[in-house]
Formats: sequence, C-alpha cells, structure tokens
Amino acid sequence: MALLLAGALGASFWAAGSVIAPGLTALRRHGLLCLGLAAVATAVLVARRRSLERARFLRSWLAAVPVRSSAARWEALLIETFPASAALILIASLALIAALAFARRADIVAVWANLSGGVVLGVIISYLAPPPKPVDLPPGSRYVPHRNVRQAAPVHPSLAALGQWPIRQLFAWAQPKAVARAIIPILVMMPLGTTADTAMIVIALFASTGALLLACSAGLSVSRLAMRWLAPLPVRSRAVIRAFLLPSCAFILGAGAMTALLLIAFNASFRSSIMVGASSALIGCLLFGAALSWNARARGAR
Amino acid sequence: MSAILEIRGLRAGYGRRTVLEDISFTLPAGEWFALLGPNGCGKSTLLDCVVGRLAPSGGEIAIDGFSLGKDAYEAKRRLGYACAPDVLPALLTGRQCLEVHAAAKQLGGIGPDLLALAEELRFTPYLDSFVDTLSLGTRQKLSVLLALVGDPLLIVLDEAFNGLDPASALILKRHLRAHIERRGGVLLLATHSLDIVEHYADSAAVLIDGNLKQAWPKPELQRLRAGQSDFEAALAAAIGKF
Repeated sequence: MALLLAGALGASFWAAGSVIAPGLTALRRHGLLCLGLAAVATAVLVARRRSLERARFLRSWLAAVPVRSSAARWEALLIETFPASAALILIASLALIAALAFARRADIVAVWANLSGGVVLGVIISYLAPPPKPVDLPPGSRYVPHRNVRQAAPVHPSLAALGQWPIRQLFAWAQPKAVARAIIPILVMMPLGTTADTAMIVIALFASTGALLLACSAGLSVSRLAMRWLAPLPVRSRAVIRAFLLPSCAFILGAGAMTALLLIAFNASFRSSIMVGASSALIGCLLFGAALSWNARARGAR
Repeated sequence: MSAILEIRGLRAGYGRRTVLEDISFTLPAGEWFALLGPNGCGKSTLLDCVVGRLAPSGGEIAIDGFSLGKDAYEAKRRLGYACAPDVLPALLTGRQCLEVHAAAKQLGGIGPDLLALAEELRFTPYLDSFVDTLSLGTRQKLSVLLALVGDPLLIVLDEAFNGLDPASALILKRHLRAHIERRGGVLLLATHSLDIVEHYADSAAVLIDGNLKQAWPKPELQRLRAGQSDFEAALAAAIGKF
C-alpha cells in the first residue's frame, strides 16, 4: 500500500513537474522563512502536546506503575515529540520520492534541509521555552448560547430541543481559543498592503465556511448519538428526522447564503458566488439528511 | 395475573459472539425482578434486547402482549428505560431531556408525581443545567426520572443506583416499589446489590455465561427472607455450582 502510494506520488510529481519546479525554486529562495515557520509550528505543537500528555498521564491507569526515571524520560520524549518525528519522516519520504521523480535535486535537498532543520529547531525551542499552562478542558456547553428559563416554568413536551443539539455541538467545538488559533495563519497569509475591508471579508468568509463545515460534521456526529439515546422510545423516525433537520438545514442554508454574499463582496462574479453558496449549502443539507436517515434506519432495524 | 414481560427463547450476541442463549422467563404484573450475575455474563445485553437497542438473533420479546419485533411502537409505549449516564445528550438541559421523552410518549405534560420525585431527589435546581455539567449521581437521577416519564408498565434499570447518595437511593427504591404496586407494572433491574434483592425484589435470577442458571421465584425469596437466611450465601452457592 505504502509502495503504491509512493508510486502514485512519484508519478504525479513527474507529471506535474512544470508546475512544481517554480514552487520548489520559491521555497528554496525563502528557505529561512520556511525554516522559521516550521520551527514555530513545531514548537507550538510539541509544547501543547507535552502539556496535554502530562495532564493525561496523571489520570492514566499506568500512573502508579514503577518505571525508572531515565526510561520514563525517554518514553515521555518519544510520546511528546511524536508529531515532529512523524513530520520528519513525511518530509524525508516526500523529498526522496520527489528526488527520484524529478531532476532538480539541489532544490529538493535544500527545501528538505530547511524544513527538517525547522522541525528539529522547533522541538529544541519547545523544551527550552517555559512549559505552557496546564490544559483543563471545560465542558462543551460553556460556549453554547442558552436562554435562561424560569425555574418554575412547566415542562412542555416537544422534540424541538433535538433541532438545537447540532447547532449547540457546533458552538461547543468552535471554542474561542480554537477560532483564534485558526485565524492566525489566515492573517499571516494575507499579503502586505491588504486593506482592512478585504481582511474583514476574508475572515468572515472563513467564519461562514467554517460554520458550514462544522454544522455538517456536528449533524453527522449528533445524529448517531441521538438515535442511540432515543432507541428505547416510541417515537417515529420521521418525527425525529423532521425535528433535527429543519433548524440545522436552516442554519446551513444561512451559512451558504452568507458565503455567497461575502464572495460577491470579495468581487467574485454574482453567478459563481451564488453557485458556490448554494451548492455548499445543498451538499451540507443532503449529507446531514442522508446521515440522519441512515442512523434512523439502523435504529428502526432493531 | 397477566404477564407484563414475556421472553421466549431469546438469543443474542455481537457479530459471531453469542452472549445470550435460549433465555426464557415471564414477569407478571406488580413484580420487582432482580437480575444478578458476574461481570460480563450478559445482563446488559439482555436489557439492551428488552429495550430494543440490540436486535436479538432469535426468540421473542413481548411487553404487555405487544411483540417488540413486530409492534415495536406499541411495546415501547409501555416501556421506561434508564440509559447509562454517558448516553444522555451532553448539550441538552435536564428540562429538554424531559420534554423530548414526554413528546416521544405523546404526553400532554409531565405528571405531578414525577415532578415531586425530582424535588425529593433534589434534582429540580439542576433542571436547566446542561447534562455535561452534572455530576455522575445527578445524571443518574435524570436517567431514572426519564425512565419514569409517562408512568410506564415496564421499567428497565441497569445498575441505576450506582453513584447515587444513600438518601436518594432510598427515596428512589421506595418510589419504585410504590410505583409498581400502584401501576401494576414490572421493574426489571440488573444489579450487583444484594441489599436490593433482600429488601425490595420479589423475584431474582442469576445469569451465568448467557444462561439463566438459577431463579428464586417470589415464594422462595419470601421463604429466604422469613427464615433470615443469608441470600449472599445462597447466591454464592448458586454461582459456585456452575
């Protein structure tokens, strides 16, 4: 399988040589920038993983097992630097395949050396820098907007809450910290001279497409959980699907419409903006509907 | 007395692994039935089949005369199941869970009995809290309250007293006892707690390796109780035999 993948990659490198060559030259020319970016990304990733793994280890079933401190140190190093090791292997493999399929070996070696050097430098920085604050993941509902209900209010039987569940899941996933981290590379990628208006539109576009993607994934994830919860109840699948589908699809359609409007504001043609917005919303609704029907059918089959 | 739960020749498993083999028993109205057995013997699998979460590979389950396979809707209308706390929807509030259950059972509202029980269990202050912010015991209370929505004939509980404080557990046990007597229903409880069998259950059975190896019908359990016999020893002897 790995050989097959390597062969396919080699063939595509060879076929797209004329497209890749200028890219390689540009990467070599901006070698220092590549090295710096790789170092920063690796340092952040490894530091965060270190903090997460240490918190997890304290609750692990192996926490009380007697292990020699030297062995524990090496094991911790291997676990914490796993993403960096994986990145080094991936970069080396890609460079090797490219070198076999491609004539510009000097460029390939230079890019490989810069990226790999950046990763190694990042690991060193992550261990020299002070450790990040311990990670304490709050419950997902902390970020969910919620209307307070009067304590004495009666309980009104309704399936409406099911429709809110996927949207709440979206808010639980899109935690402010995660959104802030995701925006940083978008801001960094904007060329010098970008106006504030353009930057705002790009960020809004990111928000609307992100909301669309998250709403679809939340729908897929929640529909499975809901069917498991509702399995012992005498509720018709049609009613459950309707309760779920209407608010979520309205949200997805809204996000699609917002994407189309932002694309128009970004000077894309009216026709293509509407096409992109409508098709992404339609695909999202269809995906969600299909997942719901599938899970409902599995529930009905029991 | 009419049978509320009837299981005939039930077989079930996961993939090729058979967990339950030819289980048959009947529970008449007004009975608290305790299902005992060592870990991994198939208690939860049996309950999953009874509530329709797992399709049996053979046999028949009927609730109040309605087949779970052929008339699942009518059978489930008579069923209340307390799911494991981790199955509850983390991002809904307790009130919303009750609303969904009541709507699913096509009720006009939640009965005053259930609201009074929620108050007794000190759950009312948590009604508008998200499930993922509740402690294990509070989630367990919500799970049992959901099982009692709609005054079901058959209540199925899987280790439902785990995580509950002793006062709440006592309130719940008394409420369940009163409920099945008033309603003429059945309580099917999978448990390891012998205290419940000794003080509350009408009948009990032990499940070992997917088979009901020994049953203690109502008269026998009453005889054990009257003679101050040690049920723990009786159960250990039954398990030791197989």
